[in-house]
Amino acid sequence: MTTLSLKKTTSAWIITILVLFIIAISFGITMRFNQGRDINLNPDTFYSIMTVHGVTMIGIWSCAGMMAVNYLLSRYVKTSVKLNVFAYAFTVVGVLMIWASTLIGKFHAGWTFLYPLPFRVAWAKWGTPLFLWGLTLLAVVWLVWAIGMVAQILRNYSLSESLAFQHLSRTKTPAKETPPFILISFVSLIGIIICLVTAAILMALLFAEYYSNGGFVNDPLLVKNLTYFFGHTIANEALYLGLATLYEIMPEVSGRPKFKTTWYVALGWQLSLFFILTAFFHHLYMDFVQPISFQIIGQMASYLASIPSAVVTVLSVIFLVFGNKIKWNIVNGLFFLGVTGWIIGGIGALIDATISNNIVLHNTLWVPAHFHTYNAMGNVLFSLAFFFWVGNEFVDSKDYSKFNKLLLALLIIGGFGFVIMFYIGGANSIPRRYSVYPKELNLGDILATLGGAFASVYLLAILWIFIDLMKKCIKVFSSAR
Amino acid sequence: MKVQLFVLILFFSSASVIALIAYYVFRSSQPTTTNKESVKDPIKKRGIFLFIWFFILAVIFSVTLPKSPYYIFTDETPNQVVYVAARQFFFMLANEPIEPNVPKMEKIEVPVNKTVEFRVTSFDVNHGFAIYNERSELVTQTQAMPGYVNKLRWKFKEPGNYKIFCLEYCGAGHQLMQSSFVVK
Ligand code: HEM
Ligand SMILES: [Cu+2]
Ligand SMILES: [Cu+2]
Repeated sequence: MTTLSLKKTTSAWIITILVLFIIAISFGITMRFNQGRDINLNPDTFYSIMTVHGVTMIGIWSCAGMMAVNYLLSRYVKTSVKLNVFAYAFTVVGVLMIWASTLIGKFHAGWTFLYPLPFRVAWAKWGTPLFLWGLTLLAVVWLVWAIGMVAQILRNYSLSESLAFQHLSRTKTPAKETPPFILISFVSLIGIIICLVTAAILMALLFAEYYSNGGFVNDPLLVKNLTYFFGHTIANEALYLGLATLYEIMPEVSGRPKFKTTWYVALGWQLSLFFILTAFFHHLYMDFVQPISFQIIGQMASYLASIPSAVVTVLSVIFLVFGNKIKWNIVNGLFFLGVTGWIIGGIGALIDATISNNIVLHNTLWVPAHFHTYNAMGNVLFSLAFFFWVGNEFVDSKDYSKFNKLLLALLIIGGFGFVIMFYIGGANSIPRRYSVYPKELNLGDILATLGGAFASVYLLAILWIFIDLMKKCIKVFSSAR
Repeated sequence: MKVQLFVLILFFSSASVIALIAYYVFRSSQPTTTNKESVKDPIKKRGIFLFIWFFILAVIFSVTLPKSPYYIFTDETPNQVVYVAARQFFFMLANEPIEPNVPKMEKIEVPVNKTVEFRVTSFDVNHGFAIYNERSELVTQTQAMPGYVNKLRWKFKEPGNYKIFCLEYCGAGHQLMQSSFVVK
């Protein structure tokens, strides 16, 4: 049951996420224009902005997925608004800590804070502990939140039902059905829990070194594995949470029957949990001291991860739409566009996850190219679709607005234009994370300026969406029912 | 064709195909169409799709894996060994091992068409060691990690001045790190 207080909390999340998103995009555009030499920032300012952009984006879209799942879970199980409010409040505190450490303290070790860089202090001394404690706070709060939601699911569905094991039989229909939404949320939340526990271990190792004054020293290779296990997994699970909302909402706003859990949907999602947890090895392809078997597992898992998503989710969406009478609106429109962007970004990812390509693409602009494609043109659109859907719940309306053609054009031209400049840069060997490019690589300059210009178009679309959504979000707070 | 150009074309063509399919699926759903399950036998279609996709991936996997850097030039004895140590924010290259507290930078010349081994490490944070040719194309790379030595083997097919850039973010001077050597 969705209560007014759940709606208010959700509304607060949406407002906060969108405000942070707009600021973080502005940071992104600033970076692009600096790389294009249109403006001139100090390198440490550039890299502080880069760090805060990365953490903020990963943070808000993980939260967007979690809070959307929290909202929709209340249709099936009893959820706790208190837990949701707790997560919201401490997320804000954590974000403020990270913003202070980067924007005031000038901490700039990158959002992956790769050991031992955070300890080579080239910023305010308090920047390192504040950043690391801020992240630790977020990890612990989200861990509690995710465990809470898993516990809520387990009160209505047994462990094997939550994983939809009873659907694996191809012949008999199970007595109790597990909706795809429950299955996907459960699998993704388990992934998030594993990933956040790893983050907590990683933080403990870093703090042990930081506070022991040289008494304890970490192994850089081990820490790098832990770092990317955490970073890769959180970014991917956030997207899977977005897919959970797609399964729940897209059919009902399209006037089509609900998705059902079939044996292949069950199997696909169970396997995806497995692949997502081993694909992170592709971040260490250029560490030749890493065991070769891990490298091979990395390429294999990265490839295999595409099978459940492609064969299950994408085909489900195609079959939902193809040749059918669909009531198109902003909600299913964003979902449909998001699936397209997600797949295109996935192709970019597969290319990079191939070791023999990675040797010339690793840490070039190809990397931000593909992950911005499936985030800015994929996961973000899934979350925005949810925002529009829930915005209608706020005002008790089933009339979803049309997808304005101009808005659609701004999103597509701005979003894809922005990432295309990254792809061209990557294929031309332009490195990622350079505040400005050396003269040999000055093709990067013009690409950056163009990328910044396209991103500004994308920002216009987001501002439009923001204004649209705010009207509904603010109304919840004045309604007294 | 160099790898980078190939993957860029591959990417743009697959992206265009995906966009066209998406548009086609979208167009097929206009309000004039009737509302019956238009896709017949979806499970069979999924099966066919699964089979084709799996097949494509398996072929690409088996073709590309042997080209991984861990397998190339491994059965040859290198003609020359170059020692590399990275620091914030410069590279040290030498013909003998480099000690952490004794900075050493030598002019390096390596032979063309012979196997060269770079032994790459770092004395502070993680750095990257990426080799660019005269056309500023990334040729090969490895990571420079403190406490570890990555061995990168390569055969340079063209003589010339090669540049080195850092491809792992290492702090505010990351974009300034560079070095060079000559292939003769
Ligand atoms: C149109 C909006 C956006 C713009 C203009 C933008 C811009 C940028 C730029 C210029 C960089 C640095 C690229 C480089 O390495 O040289 C970057 C990095 C990054 N962006 Fe975005 N971005 C946008 C949206 C997003 C979204 C939606 C996400 C969602 C997860 C995201 C996550 C990241 C991350 C994780 C990094 C890496 C930070 C690091 O290297 O430490 N960005 N972005
Ligand atoms: Cu470096
Ligand atoms: Cu560097």
